[in-house]
Amino acid sequence: MDAFLINGPSIFASADAMSAKEPSIWGLGAYIAFVLVILLVLMSYAKKGLSVRVFKNPVTSLFEQLYLFIENMCVSSIGQHGRKYIPMMMVFWLMIFVGNIVALLFPFAPTADLSFNLGMALIAVCYVQYEGVRANGLLGHLKHFTGPKLSGAMVAISGLIFTIEIISELMKNVSLSLRLYGNIHGGHLAVEAMNQLGNKIYVPLGVLVLLLIKLLTCLVQALIFTMLTCVYLSLVTHHSEDHAEEGHTATAH
Amino acid sequence: MGTGLGLGVGIAALGVGIGLGLIGNGALQGMARQPEAIGKLQTAMLIALAFVELVFLLTVFVAPFLIK
Repeated sequence: MDAFLINGPSIFASADAMSAKEPSIWGLGAYIAFVLVILLVLMSYAKKGLSVRVFKNPVTSLFEQLYLFIENMCVSSIGQHGRKYIPMMMVFWLMIFVGNIVALLFPFAPTADLSFNLGMALIAVCYVQYEGVRANGLLGHLKHFTGPKLSGAMVAISGLIFTIEIISELMKNVSLSLRLYGNIHGGHLAVEAMNQLGNKIYVPLGVLVLLLIKLLTCLVQALIFTMLTCVYLSLVTHHSEDHAEEGHTATAH
Repeated sequence: MGTGLGLGVGIAALGVGIGLGLIGNGALQGMARQPEAIGKLQTAMLIALAFVELVFLLTVFVAPFLIK
């Protein structure tokens, strides 16, 4: 037992072994290209089945269901003007989901690498800022960070709120990428540890027990990344609707 | 070193487990009382789950560096 504790599969102690398992940047690029090829093949096959009436191609109807799901998510969390963000959300969902699923069949997944996740989170956050600026204008977008309108000496507090909001905006990046990385990479480590546990009886316990749970994790992580991006978008762009309403009532008067 | 690390992660897992259980409890009760609000509740529940989970992940990734 003691020997097992010292020499056994330790999740943390073998930092070198962990990094040794990760491929180089070219390997990561190859895996990302692989995911993109899978997506392209699937979607071109789905596009073939497009028709005016009923979709007979099963892949097409699968993608239709996915589209409806993403549309429902966008509309319910952003509002009626959330429809124009569907393509971006769809790309995020598909990329993360297929990137996660790849790990169940192949030795590595692009989403188990922090750099890929950080890149994707950067794209998401920058896209949110871009949409915020486009919806409210640069000044309106910056004003959105200062919180409620204060007067007199309370302006200093507005400055404080501004700083905190900017920091939280930067931390969105970290939280998005670290959540995805931690879940996927941690799941891989857990499968490895379970496999080593069953090594003595020649049964890959991790593969048998944990893969189904990992399938659920893949789905939920893709969902959460997309949903959080939707929520950030709704936080940033919901003022435009108020302004539109104000303008409408102003013209009505 | 390994013992402290395991203990810390265990404590973090304990707290996060309680938090996740509370979220699931609240969401299920809300869903049972108001089945027509299931969609909205699920969205809010998943977001809350994600935030609680992040705490555990932060612990897991920060703890090894603190102990060294």
